[in-house]
Amino acid sequence: MLDAVTATAAELTVEAVSLSFGGHRVLKEVSMDFRPGQVTGLIGPNGAGKTSLFNCLTGLYRPQQGRIALGGQSLERMPPARRARAGLSRSFQHVALCPELDVLENVMFGRARLGRSGWADAFLPLPGGRAERAEARAAAMDVLRRLDLAAFSDVTPAGLPPGTQRLVEIARAIASRPRVLLLDEPAAGLNPAETRQLTAVLRGLVSPELIIVVVEHDMDLIMQLCDRIHVLNFGQRIASGTPAEIRADPEVIRVYLGDSDD
Amino acid sequence: MPEAVSVLAPRATAETPPLPRRLTVWLLLGVLALVPAVAGGFWTYSVGVCMANAVAVLSVGFLLRYGGEVSIGHSFFLAFGAYCTAIVERELGLSVGIGLPVAAAAGAVLGIVFAWPSRALSGIYLAIATMALALSVPELILQLGPIAGGYEGLYVARPLIPGVSVDLQRYYLPLVVLALVVLLLARFRRSRQGLVLLTARDHPRAAEAFGFSRGYARLAAFAISASIASTAGALLAFAASTVSPNSFTLSTAIYLLVGTVVSFGSLGLAGALAGGAFITLVPQLFAAWGDWVPIIYGAALLAVVTLGHRPAEVLAALRARLGGGRRDA
Repeated sequence: MLDAVTATAAELTVEAVSLSFGGHRVLKEVSMDFRPGQVTGLIGPNGAGKTSLFNCLTGLYRPQQGRIALGGQSLERMPPARRARAGLSRSFQHVALCPELDVLENVMFGRARLGRSGWADAFLPLPGGRAERAEARAAAMDVLRRLDLAAFSDVTPAGLPPGTQRLVEIARAIASRPRVLLLDEPAAGLNPAETRQLTAVLRGLVSPELIIVVVEHDMDLIMQLCDRIHVLNFGQRIASGTPAEIRADPEVIRVYLGDSDD
Repeated sequence: MPEAVSVLAPRATAETPPLPRRLTVWLLLGVLALVPAVAGGFWTYSVGVCMANAVAVLSVGFLLRYGGEVSIGHSFFLAFGAYCTAIVERELGLSVGIGLPVAAAAGAVLGIVFAWPSRALSGIYLAIATMALALSVPELILQLGPIAGGYEGLYVARPLIPGVSVDLQRYYLPLVVLALVVLLLARFRRSRQGLVLLTARDHPRAAEAFGFSRGYARLAAFAISASIASTAGALLAFAASTVSPNSFTLSTAIYLLVGTVVSFGSLGLAGALAGGAFITLVPQLFAAWGDWVPIIYGAALLAVVTLGHRPAEVLAALRARLGGGRRDA
């Protein structure tokens, strides 16, 4: 289901990326990599630049210097819509589901890019378009079942609790068969029970070819969820490693000292 | 069909509309089919024009619903379709049977030609840009010279099917095309492209993240909307048997918007007919009210424009309050 298109799973690499806004440098020569088969966390205190880096990955910001690549393919000049074609998908910090579509249709939208049906199929009951729609419906239902969301398939998102809406967004992202799944503060606004469910769902998504990147404030979530963690502070990477290594890193402890999270 | 505000209401699956709604549609179509048999020539003519205007209302409603944008310029595309049909008849000797498909196809192209340079605009700014289109129409037609017939305009007299009463054809062609457009739009709602446009309307960044740029969404919404408007223009030309520059002024564009408000942005048969009937009959029936008619229209226009960038949601809430969340007829 989640296999990438290519046989050899490629890494997502960030090389010496610098970003500034009107002379204020928010990222200073940041380099890091994100590996397939792993959940990689991106953490740091407020203003550390993790959201800026995330926006460089999704294409909202274009770094002035440096390189972002998936396998051999450079991404840094690519607009967001083309990055989807390259295999990137994402969730939003503020849920961005279409309120008029039901949950199943929102997930079907996730795989709209994979469809081949043309404009004639959109208006006329042609066999090709009908078959494709039935297939899309079945595939979307499949994803919903895997994420335990099948019961909500025919309701609109507005009626669902925030945790469920977040899971529907992740289902939509998964439906697009991504090579890279970028999650922007997935636990924001969730209660502890919802956060636990989210952690379980995300661990269940791990597959040898999928790169999962999580930007998050919630330290408990990051420590439980991630295989590797990159820590940013003042626009620079100060540490990388497993949760245990990060917990023991003196620099990280210094940065987070007094922080209620850890 | 799903409705943002009626989660708890019973609903059918996306593939089959509920039975009562289908019954309403068939009942409406049946009544409309009988009009020429029971009503006189004046009403047959008027209801024919109502149905052509209903298609025009659908074109503005489509842009509002799938593009989230307000147009005050659709009289431009209406005029284009009407003149296409008249010129195809006059220059090539072909009936509306050819003129209408030509108008629909060329209208889509024209929609793209307008949407491309204006793709960065939205909300009130786009509305103003479309208004420029509407303002240009009469002058443009006069500039075309003798081919467009100048102030007097052109006749659309050739019957679609020779040997059958032209008056009946002028009634039944708009009826058939209106029913078809409603059916095609209901199908579009379930299509891949329909899901993309609705998501792009509410969350352009989400649509981008899934491979569909804002430009794609805007061009698609405008092309379809302009094609429907051009089709409506062809129907109007045929139903009214004549086209002239003064039937396509800024007020025409504003009336269309008012018709969309009256239809509550519905893309169903009943809503479109209500909108089409309102803009066709109100000026006739309330001619005695004189100055009040434009004031009523102006107020309705202000209402729809100030609903802001995403009027569809407000309309959905309104519909839910007024009609139990029913949207498509």
